[in-house]
Amino acid sequence: MIGPPLPAQRFWGLTASGAASFLGLWTVAALSGLTSRNFLPAPWDVVERFGQLLVTPFAGHVLLEHLASSLKRFAMGFGLAVLVGIPLGLLMAWFKWIDRIITPAFEAVRFVAPIAWVPFAALWFGTGIGGPVLIIFMGAFPPVLINTYRGAKQVDRKYIEASQMLGASAWRSMTEVLLPAAVPSIVAGLRISAGLGWQSLVGAELIVASSGVGYMMVKGQASVSTATVMCGMVAIGFVGLLIDVALRRVQQAIETRRGI
Amino acid sequence: MANIQFQNVQRVFKQHGKEFVALKDINLVVQDREFVAIVGPSGCGKTTCMRMAAGLEHPTGGDVRVANEVVTRPGPDRAVVFQQFALFPWKTVWDNIDFGLKSLKVDAAERARRIEQIIALMGLGGYEQAFPHQLSGGMQQRVAIARAYVLDPKVLLMDEPFGALDAQTRVVMQEELVRLARKNPRTVLFITHAVEEAVYLADRIVVMSRRPGTIREIIDVKSIREAEDWDQHKRIEDVMDLPSFVHLRTHVWKLLREQQGDDAH
Amino acid sequence: MSTAAANPTSAGAAAAPRQGTRSLGKRVGGVLLTLGIVLALWHLLTAVTGLIPPMRFPTPAEVGVALQQIAIDGYSNGRLHEHVLRSVLLVTMGFVVAASCGVLLGLAMGASRSVEAFVNPIFLVLRPIPPLAWIPLAIVWLGLGDAAKMMVIFVSAFVPSVINSYTGVRQIDKPIFEAAAMLDVTGLRYWREVLIPGALPSIFTGLRLSLQASWTTLVAAELVGAVTGLGQILNQAAQDIFPAMILVGMISVALCGWLMTLGLGWLEKRVMPWKALS
Repeated sequence: MIGPPLPAQRFWGLTASGAASFLGLWTVAALSGLTSRNFLPAPWDVVERFGQLLVTPFAGHVLLEHLASSLKRFAMGFGLAVLVGIPLGLLMAWFKWIDRIITPAFEAVRFVAPIAWVPFAALWFGTGIGGPVLIIFMGAFPPVLINTYRGAKQVDRKYIEASQMLGASAWRSMTEVLLPAAVPSIVAGLRISAGLGWQSLVGAELIVASSGVGYMMVKGQASVSTATVMCGMVAIGFVGLLIDVALRRVQQAIETRRGI
Repeated sequence: MANIQFQNVQRVFKQHGKEFVALKDINLVVQDREFVAIVGPSGCGKTTCMRMAAGLEHPTGGDVRVANEVVTRPGPDRAVVFQQFALFPWKTVWDNIDFGLKSLKVDAAERARRIEQIIALMGLGGYEQAFPHQLSGGMQQRVAIARAYVLDPKVLLMDEPFGALDAQTRVVMQEELVRLARKNPRTVLFITHAVEEAVYLADRIVVMSRRPGTIREIIDVKSIREAEDWDQHKRIEDVMDLPSFVHLRTHVWKLLREQQGDDAH
Repeated sequence: MSTAAANPTSAGAAAAPRQGTRSLGKRVGGVLLTLGIVLALWHLLTAVTGLIPPMRFPTPAEVGVALQQIAIDGYSNGRLHEHVLRSVLLVTMGFVVAASCGVLLGLAMGASRSVEAFVNPIFLVLRPIPPLAWIPLAIVWLGLGDAAKMMVIFVSAFVPSVINSYTGVRQIDKPIFEAAAMLDVTGLRYWREVLIPGALPSIFTGLRLSLQASWTTLVAAELVGAVTGLGQILNQAAQDIFPAMILVGMISVALCGWLMTLGLGWLEKRVMPWKALS
C-alpha cells in the first residue's frame, strides 16, 4: 500500500530537510573553491544578482523590462494561436470538407518542433518581433486547434439535432452551440498551449531576439555569469507558473458556472 | 393544413453487412390538429417514425410529408421535444426558448412578447435567468416544451417526453399537456411506451408491432372520450377510473401482449 | 483528423474507427493525392508564378537539389545520414539515461510518501523551468560540445518521466493494493508485479513526453551551437541563407521525431499487450 498521508510534522520535517540538503550541497560545492564564484555561485549570490537585475540594466534593460518584452511576444503568439485555432477548429468540426483539407496539412507540420522554425523566422523577420511570434505560434497553435476540434466533435448529438430542429444557421450552430459546448475542452487546450507557447518563447529568444529574458540569459552565458543565467531561469519558471495558475482558475470558474 | 402523412414508409438498416428491416409498410395520416400517440414494444421503430417526420432520419422507401411537403431536413416548423430535454446547458431558460425564435427572423420585441407569453403558460415565471442544471427534470421538460411551442410549429413531435421524469412529475406534466392540447390544439405526434399515457392524451392511438415495425391497429380514442366526457374530470386518477378508460387501456395492453407472446426471434 | 490524444503518438497505429473502416489502399491513395496536390500548389506558388520569392521559400526543385547535395556530397561537415545518426544517437543516449533515472525516482516518490516529501521541494522549483531554458546554463558549465547537449537532454527528459511515473503509481486502484496485501506480495515482487505494471500506461505516457522533449531540446541545443547534427544543419543553412536546405533540415527533424515516436509506440504495444491504445 502507499500508506496514509504523513503526519504534518513528519511531512514538513522531510520537506525542510530535502530543501536544506539541496541548498546545503549547492553551498558546499560553490564554496569549495573548485571553481570561481562566477561559474558556480552560491545560492545567496543568485538572490543578490536577482536584486541587482531588478534595478541595474543588463543586456540593455532591467529584468522587468526584459520580462515585459518576453510577455509581449508571448501574448502576440498565443493570441494569434487562439484567434486562428478556435475558429478553425470549429469550422473543421462542422464542415467535413474543411476537415479533409486541413487535417493532412496540419498533421504534417505538427511534427516539426517549433524551434525548427527559427531559421525561417530569422530569414523572414530578421530580429523583428515576427520571428519569436512565429515560433510561439507554432508551439501554441496545435493544442488549441486539436482541443477545439475534439471538443466540438464530441458535442452530444442531441444538441446538434436540437440546433438543427430549431433552424439555426451554420454560423449560429458553430458560435452558439459548438463553441459553448467545447469550452471545457478548449480551456484545457489553452492551458497546454500556453505552456508550450511559453517554452517556445524561451527557445526563440535564445536565438532570434535582442531583448527578453531568453536574450538576457544568452548574454549572461556569454559573460560567464551563471548567477544571471539562473535568475533568468527562475524568472521564466515563475512567470510560466503564474500563467498556468491563472488559466487553471479560469478553467475552474467555467466548470462551476456550467454546473459540471 | 398541418397534417403528417406516412406513405408506404420503409426503413432498412445496414449493420455489419446485414440488413435489418426496422419499419415496414407504414401508412398513417395524422390529421390537422390531431393528437396521435404511437405505442409499441421497445425497438419497434416508433421513435424512428417521429424522427423521420422531424427530418432527423430518412425513409429508405416511401415518403413522409408534413403539410403535403416531403420532409428532407429538420426545421422549426416541425418542433421536437426530446426525451433527454436537449436544452443548451450554457444558455438560460429565456435564451433557450429564444434560440429557435431567432431563426424565424422575428424581431426582438415580438420575440420577447412571445417568450413571456409561453413562460406564463408553462408556469416558468421567475426562472427566466436560471440555467438548466439548476432546474428539476419536470421544469426542464417544461422549458423544452415551451421552446417547441413558442415556434408556433406546424406539427409538434414528442419523443417519450416524460420518460425521464419521476412518476409524480409525469402525472403533473400529462395533465398540463392535456390542458394545453385542449386549449390550443395542434398536430401532435406523441411517442410513448406507456399505455395509460397514450390513452389519456391521444385522439387516436397507433399500436405498432415489434420489429419489423408495422402498424398493428389504430384505435380511436377521441370519440369515446367525448362521448363519456372525460374532460370534466380534472384529475388524471379520476379519468383512469372510468370504465371506458379501463376498457381502452385493456384493449391496447392486449395488443401489446400479443407482440410479446410472439416468439418471432 | 482522429480524435486521438493531443500528442503525436502512434499516429498511424491508433486510427479512429471511422478511418479504420476504409481500406489501407484507399488511405495511402488519399495521402498520395493530398501530397500530389500540395506539391503542385507549392510548385505553382514558387517556381511558376513567383508569388513567393525564392529568398523566402524554396521551390520543390531546389529542395530536391539540396537534398541530393546533403545526402551525397554532404553539408556542414557531414552527409545527411551522418547528421541524423549523430542527433538520434545523442537523443537516445540522453533519453535512456534520463528516463531510467526519472522513472525510478517517480516510482519511488509514488510508492513512498517519505521520499515524495523529501524530493518535492527541489522538484517544485525545477519543474516550471522549461527545458530550453537550461541551454545557457549547460553552455556555461560544459561548453559548446556534446556534454552540454547531454545535460539539456537529460533535464528535459527527466521531469516528464518522474511526474508520469509518480502519477502512474498513485492512480492504481486501491483494490489492487488490497489484493496484493492479502496475497502477501512484498519486496521485489511487489514492485515487479504490482507497482510497475499498474503504473506502466502512465509511465509510457511519460516516456513519450520525455522523448518529444529530448528531441526538441536537442535540435534547439544544436541550433545554438554544434558541429554536426540536424539542428546544426538548420543553423548553417540559416547563416548561408539557403532556404532549400532549411526545409530539408526541418523535414528531417520532423521525420525523425515521428519515427522515434512510432518506435516507442511499437515498444509500448509489445510491453503492454493488454492495454488498448487510445
